[in-house]
Order: sequence, then C-alpha cells, then structure tokens
Amino acid sequence: MAATLVIILVFAAIGVFPYFVPSPYILHIGTLIFIWSFITTAWSYMGRFGLVSLGHGAFLGVGAYTTGLLFNYFGFTPWVGMLLGALAAVGLAVVVGYACFRFGVIGDYFALVTLALGEVVALTLIAFRDITGGSLGFTLKSKGTSLFYFQSEEKIHFYYASLGFLVLALLVWKWIDRSKMQKALRAIGEDEIAASTLGMGIIRYKMIITMISAFMTAIGGVLYAQYITYLNPHTLSGVAPSLEIAFKAILGGMFSLWGPAIGTALIISLEEYFRVAYGSTFVGFSQIIYGLALVLLIIFLPKGIYGSLQDFVAKRKKS
Amino acid sequence: MTELLLNSIVNGILLGGVLALLAFGMNLIFGVVKIIHLAYGQCVMLGMYVVYTLAVQAQIPVILSCILVLPIMGIVGILLQLLVINPLLKAKANPLTQLLALAGLTIVVENLAQVVWGADLRGINIQLPIISIGSVFVRTSNLIAFFGALLTLWGLYLFLNRTYLGLAIRSIAQDLDSARLMGINPRRIYLITMATGGILTGVIAAFFSPIYAVHPHFGGSFTMMAFIIVVLGGMGNLLGGFIGAFIIGVVTSVSGVLTSTEIADIIVLIIFISVILVRPQGLLGIRVSK
Repeated sequence: MAATLVIILVFAAIGVFPYFVPSPYILHIGTLIFIWSFITTAWSYMGRFGLVSLGHGAFLGVGAYTTGLLFNYFGFTPWVGMLLGALAAVGLAVVVGYACFRFGVIGDYFALVTLALGEVVALTLIAFRDITGGSLGFTLKSKGTSLFYFQSEEKIHFYYASLGFLVLALLVWKWIDRSKMQKALRAIGEDEIAASTLGMGIIRYKMIITMISAFMTAIGGVLYAQYITYLNPHTLSGVAPSLEIAFKAILGGMFSLWGPAIGTALIISLEEYFRVAYGSTFVGFSQIIYGLALVLLIIFLPKGIYGSLQDFVAKRKKS
Repeated sequence: MTELLLNSIVNGILLGGVLALLAFGMNLIFGVVKIIHLAYGQCVMLGMYVVYTLAVQAQIPVILSCILVLPIMGIVGILLQLLVINPLLKAKANPLTQLLALAGLTIVVENLAQVVWGADLRGINIQLPIISIGSVFVRTSNLIAFFGALLTLWGLYLFLNRTYLGLAIRSIAQDLDSARLMGINPRRIYLITMATGGILTGVIAAFFSPIYAVHPHFGGSFTMMAFIIVVLGGMGNLLGGFIGAFIIGVVTSVSGVLTSTEIADIIVLIIFISVILVRPQGLLGIRVSK
C-alpha cells in the first residue's frame, strides 16, 4: 500500500515538474530518459527470462525507418506507420526467433546471433543508401506542431507523450507478470529441459515474448525518431545502440519492474553530466569515464543497481 | 572479370593469413581464460598507434618501432588481466556480464585513442612496391604480413606443443581442475596467456601498420571479424580458426569486389548466424553435451 502511494507520488512529481522548472534542457533530458526507459523495459521483457538479446537495435531500426520512410515518401501518418513498423519488427523477430528457438540456441549464442542481427539491419540500411540516405541518415519532413503527424516544436508535448508510453510499457510488464506465460517462461529460463518434460510449449512461449518485446522496441524507435526528427543507422541499429540498451537494463537490474528505468535514468544522467563537464575541453574524455564507470559497475554490482539495492534491503530486514 | 576475381581471391588469401593470427589470439584467450576478449581489435589498434608514435613522432626507424611494439603490447595484455579480467573473474559475473564489461572496455580504449591521438587517420607512410605475377597484383606489405603471420603461427604452434609452458597452457584450456591438481597455477598461466595475446596484437599491429592508416574506430570491425572466425572454426579450436580465417578472408574479398563492402559484411554476418544456428560447435568442433 505504501509502495503504491510512493509510486503515485513519484509520477505526480514527474508530471507537475515542468511547471516548476520550465527548463527546456531538463525537459529534453527527461524525455530522452522516458523514451530509452521505454525501450529498455521492452528489452527486459525477454531479458529477464534469460533471453538476453544484444540486437534490439534491429527492431529499433526497422520500426523507426519503416515509419520515417513511409512518412517522408508517401505522407503516411506516423501513427499508422508506427503500427506497420512494429509489425515489420515482429516479422523479423518471428523469423530470427523461430530459427533460434527451433535449433535450441540459448544463452551466449543467442546473444551473439542477435548481435549479428542488429549489425545486419544497420548494414542493410546503409547499403540501400538511395532510399535511406545511408550512413548520413535522413531528416523527417517538418510539419510544425501536429498531433496527426506526431511532431511537435514544444518539448513539453513529447515529455508527456513519452512519459505516457513509459507507463504503458510498465503496465505491459505488470500484465506479463500476472499471466500464465510468466510462470512458464520462468521455468523455461531456469531449466529448459525440465520445463519441456512438463509439456510446456517452449518455442511458443519464447516466440510470444520475443514478439511482444520486438513490437514495443520498434514503437520506442519510432518515438525516438519522431522526437529527434532525424534517423541514422548508427544511432538506431547496429552494435552500439544494441549494446547500450542491454547495458542500461542490466545495470539497472533487468529482473525488476523499475530496474531498467532506473538504469536508463542513471546512465543518461551520467553521460550528460560528463559531456557537459568535460565534453568541450577534451573530446572523448567523457566517454572514457563513462566506459570506465560501466566496467566498474559491472565488476562491483553484477546484479544491477536495483537488484543489489533489493538484496541490501532484504539483508537489512533479516538482521 | 576473371582477372578481377583472381586478384580478389589472392588478396583474400593474403588477408586470411593475418586474420588467422588475429583469430588465434582471441581463440587462445577464450580457450584458456574463458573470456571473450571483445576489445581484441581495439588492442591491435592501440598497437598501431604505438607504432605510429614511435616511428613518426619519435623518429625511430620503422623496423625498430615494429619490434618495440611487441613488449609494449605484452605489458598492455598483462595490465588488462590484472586490472579488468582478474576482478571480473573474482566477481563471479556470469559470462554475459563479462561480455558487456569488455564491450565497455572497447568504449574506453576507442575514446582514449581519440583523446590522445585525435580522430584523424594516422599512418606511417611508407611505400612498398607492388609485385605483379602475371595479371595478379600484390602489395609487398600484404605479402610480408601473410608470410610473417604464417611464421608467427608456426612459432606459436611450436611454443604450445614443444615447451613445458605450452603444455601447461593447453592443460589449463582442457581441464582447469586437473591442471590445478598437477601443480599448475592458473593465475600465472592466465597472465602468461594474456601477455602472449598482447604480444600477438603487437605483431599484428606491426604487420598492419604499412597496410592501413589507423583511426579510433579501426579496431571494431577487426574484433567482429576475428570473432566471426573464432565461432566459424569452433570456439577454442585453433585449427578450425585457421581454416575459418581463410574462408572469411576470401569471402569478404570476393563479395566486396562483386557487390559492395556493406553487402560483403552482411554476407559474412549471415554465414556467422547460420553457423551458430546449424553448427554451433563450429566447422571442426565436437559437440559437448552438458
């Protein structure tokens, strides 16, 4: 009961925050945190059941590029494009997921297949440079502030929109948590052979969760693209963003509802802090510290921040 | 067209020699320390920067710089083991977290290079003649790299198979607990393996320096390539890696000529995915059941 109250208070604080501190910079950082939290939460849908993907950039890219290209070339509204993009990502997830699960690719090997998948999508986007703009990316046509075209010149609109999407992602997490699927997937994640002897459709459950995760991640990609209004294969798919998603979720703690969001908030704030503090004096210096911080956090908090915190609290309660 | 194809095949084989060396280093570290060294290409890049600094900025003769880079990279390998890998092994992080820690390390190394040497291309600027055999043209530097790599691999083979230390390394790779019972100290062997791996990055850097100009993102593609070869040949399988290197070398080279470099990379990645799906133990690996 107390926990629910805290959550409501936190969300209320985030909601009214812009009225007290109307700084566009803070709003921008907040929006980025919400969008990436949405994506990392979607990633954790499967990550928490041992399906650690290092290629979610593939879904991000497919979603964002489908929407962006349909909009720029045919004037499709991003709301429809978003759905089509997400379905395209689901299609990709079905092909790769089925191949992986059918051949029993799990653990490290699953991570590696997905890592390659992210890179394949990035390279494909670059290879079709006549349509996609290649490595240079492309800019979405500006429509000013329009709900129909999901574009806005006001930061505050995206602040609330992305917050709303984040809440949706957290609700989906809750929904998965309550479903029968969650129990089955947890059993599968712990011991696949034992679960299959109990007559569970391993492939079916894994497929469903992968499809949900891909669908949501693609929507996250569209959100990001609509906010930034610029698409680039290196920031949307490929190895770097794929790894970043996993980093954020794992550092925060992918097994808990709030873990991915906390990890994302921490890393984005950290990145911004170092960029602002040292970015102009030493180019690249902030990234060094950022990388070091990641390595150190992994060494000292292998369970993630939220996970370690939970352990700490549990220990405190016992003694 | 046939001439072009022939040229690309020959150059692919030459590239394969150096790739074999690269994959060997990664494979050795994976086999012994049981860590996927995701920053291996970045270490090669660091070695190339060292060669550049010595040869261009300190005006040391190129040959001498290429020799000096070996002990320096060996020390880098030892430092990596002491500062990053030992704590990771101690933290008992699962393999995936280790992978991410090393991915974090690549960010550090790449940006360190950018801060110290800048984002521009750095090369040692030496021109070696181009040899033509019939209609096939070969750069001397590629030829030197190819034969140098084969020679190094031969030396490594002798080291692993004919010396006591080599035996100790192989026994650790095969069975950690039994090796311990035989009185082998794994920590020491890990350190020696990482030093060897480090010296290897120095060797590769020395061979690469006359061929390529280096930039901060130079290492990434080579890490990926080495890794793909290692998986193709079977993780920890040194002979498989050797064969895999030539396959990947020729495939990239030929498909790069026939299509574009991106399509060539996509083809290589698709080979990689298919291998994991259909034959995860690699070309020569034996499937180990849990």
